[in-house]
Amino acid sequence: MEILSNFGDGLLVAMQPQNLLYCFVGVFLGTFIGVLPGIGSMAAISMILPLTFYLEPTTALVMIAGVYYGAEYGGSIASILMNIPGTPSSSITCIDGYPMAREGRAGIALFASAIASFGGGMIGMVVMAVLAPALAALALNFGPTEYFAVILLGLVAASAVSNGSPLKGVAMVVAGLMLGTVGVDLTTGTERFTLGIPELRDGVSLVIVAMGLFGVGELIVSIKANRHGAQQTKLDYKKFYPSWAEWRAMVKPILRGGGIGSIVGALPGTGQTVASAIAYAVEKRLSPNKSNFGKGAIEGVAVPESANNSATQTAFVPTLTLGVPGSASMALVIGALMIHGITPGPRLLVEHADLFWGLVASFLLGNIMLLILNIPMIGLWVRLLQIPYRFMYPTIIVLICIGVYSVNNNVFDIWLTLLFGWAGYLMRLYRFEPAPLLLGFVLGPMMEEQLRRAMLLSRGDPTVFLTRPISAALIAVTVLLLIYAFASALSARKRARAAMTVPS
Amino acid sequence: MKNLTHDTAPDAAKRREDETQSSVEPRGDEARSVPVLVAILGGVGLLALSLVFVIGGVELGVGTPRRLGTGAFPVLSGLTLAIICVGIILGDLRNGHLDEVPDWISFFAIGAALAIFAFVAERFGLVPAVFLATITASLPDRTLPWIGKAALGAGVSLASWGLFIGVLDLPFRAYMGF
Repeated sequence: MEILSNFGDGLLVAMQPQNLLYCFVGVFLGTFIGVLPGIGSMAAISMILPLTFYLEPTTALVMIAGVYYGAEYGGSIASILMNIPGTPSSSITCIDGYPMAREGRAGIALFASAIASFGGGMIGMVVMAVLAPALAALALNFGPTEYFAVILLGLVAASAVSNGSPLKGVAMVVAGLMLGTVGVDLTTGTERFTLGIPELRDGVSLVIVAMGLFGVGELIVSIKANRHGAQQTKLDYKKFYPSWAEWRAMVKPILRGGGIGSIVGALPGTGQTVASAIAYAVEKRLSPNKSNFGKGAIEGVAVPESANNSATQTAFVPTLTLGVPGSASMALVIGALMIHGITPGPRLLVEHADLFWGLVASFLLGNIMLLILNIPMIGLWVRLLQIPYRFMYPTIIVLICIGVYSVNNNVFDIWLTLLFGWAGYLMRLYRFEPAPLLLGFVLGPMMEEQLRRAMLLSRGDPTVFLTRPISAALIAVTVLLLIYAFASALSARKRARAAMTVPS
Repeated sequence: MKNLTHDTAPDAAKRREDETQSSVEPRGDEARSVPVLVAILGGVGLLALSLVFVIGGVELGVGTPRRLGTGAFPVLSGLTLAIICVGIILGDLRNGHLDEVPDWISFFAIGAALAIFAFVAERFGLVPAVFLATITASLPDRTLPWIGKAALGAGVSLASWGLFIGVLDLPFRAYMGF
C-alpha cells in the first residue's frame, strides 16, 4: 500500500506541466536520435546534458530518462526497416524484425515493437518501484568498505563482462579513474595534473568527456558507415495491426521478456543488450514456434523489445539507490544529479522522495507518450530515415559545439571536446570501449573517497575489505566475474582460431 | 616490418554481435592488417599515460596506509593500468589489427570543424562560427556540391541563431567585429 501511495504522489509530481513537457521533449528527442543509425542513447544524453543544467533536478532527470528509453524505442525502427540497429540493444530485433519487413510486414513489426516496448516498460516500472526501496534499506547498512566493494564490482562488471576484450575494458575503467583525479583534491586542496591550466582546477567536465567520446567519436565513425547508404523497405500501412493470432503470440513473450529484462537490467554491467540477448535465447527455447525464429517470427520482435525496455527502467535501481551506475548512460544520470547537488544513494529515497517517485511515475506517462509517438507517427520516423545523412551530421556537430560552449561560454571546453572526440575515435579504432572509461571517470572520485575513509577507519589495515562480510562477498563476486570474463575471452579466441584453421 | 593478420570472414550473427559490443554501426570495411608498431600504438599510448600518473602521483605524495596522500590513488591506478597495458601490448603483438580502415578525412574534418567553431565563435560570434563549422564538417561528403554545403551552412546558422539566441535566449553574440 505504501508503494501505491508513493506512486500516487509521484504521479502528481510527474503530471506537473513542466515535467510533462520535458518528459515529452525527452522521449521525442530520444526517439529522434534513436532512429538515426550510429547515434546511440549515450550521445543523445550527452547532447542534452547542458540543457538540463537550467532545469529543476526532477525535471532534468525525467527528461534524461525520457531520452534514454525513447532512444531504445527509436532504435528498433532502423533495425526493422534497414537492418541497422539504431542502438546496440536493438540489434537483436534485427534478427526477426528485418525478415518481417522484407515479407511486407514492416508495419506489423513496428506495431509489435511499440506494444512490446510499452509492456516491457510497465513491467520494469513495477519492478523498480518494488525493488528500489528494498535495496535502499539494505544499503543503509553500508560503510565505506562496502561502498568501495560495490563500486569495484560495478566497474569490473561493466568493463569485463559486457564488452569484447576484458583486458581492454578494465584498462579503460582504470584510465577513467585516473582522469577523475584531474583537478583540485577535495581532501587536501592540492592541484593534481592540471598542467597549470585554470579551467582544469575543477576537473574535466563530464559534459566534455561524454560529448567528446560519444558525440564526436561516434559521429566520425558513423560518417563512413552511412556513406554507403542502406537498403530501405517500403512500409505497408495497410498491414499495420497484428491479427488476433499474432496478438496472442506476443503476450507471453512480452511478459517473459519484461521479467528477464527487469532482473538483468538491475544488475551492474549487463544492460539492455545482454537483457535482449538472454530474453531472445530463452524465448527461442520455450516458444512452440521456435523453427520460425530468425525468419520473421513476431515473438522474435516482441521479446527483445520488451526486455530492453524493462532493463532500461530497472537500470535506475542501482544507480539511484546505491549511487553505482550499471552503465555509462547511468553514469551520466549520476553526473547530472551531482551537478544539481543531489548525491545518489540509499538516502535519496528519503531525502528526495519526490524526485524518485516522480521519475517512476514519469515512466508510465513517458511510455504512453511513446506509444502515441510511435504508432500514429511512424510515418514521420520513416521519413526521417530517408533524410540523407550528409545533411544530418554537420548539424549534429554544430549542436555539440553549441551545447559544450553554452555550459561555461568558454572555447577552451570546445578544444578539450575536440581532444576527447579524437581520442574516442582512436579508441574505437584500437578496440578500446569508451563506455567503461566514462564509468571510471564518474565513479573514480567516489571510489577514492571511500578508499580513503575505509583505510582511515581501519587504521591503515587493507584486509578490512576481506574481513567485513558484505565487502568480502562483493569482492569474491568481483574476482569470480573477472575469472569468468577472462576464461570466456580465452575460449572464444580458441574457437575463433579453430574456425580459421578448418577452412585452410 | 612484420605484418599482422586477422580473421576477416565473420558470419552475419558474429558481425551483429560485434556491432552490438562496439556500439557503433556496421562499417562496410573489413578489419585491416597493420604493421606491428601501429598495432601496439594503443597499448603503448596508454602505458605512457599511466606512467605520467604514477610519476606525478609520487611527486604529489602517497602518504601512509592510514592517511592516503593526494598522489596515492593516481599511483595505485597508474600502476594497475601499466600492468594491464603490458598484457595488452603483448596481446596486440600477437594479434593486433585495426578494427576498420581509418577514415582520416572525417577525423580531421570533424576536428577542424570544432577548431573553427572555437576560433571563430570567440572572435566573430555564433552565426559565422556555425556557418564555417557546418561547411567544414560537411567536407568528407563529396556528393554534396559546394553550393549545397554553403546552403546547408546558411540554413543551420540561421536556425541556430533563431533557436539558441532568439528562443532560448542563451548568452551568445550572433555577430562580432562586423
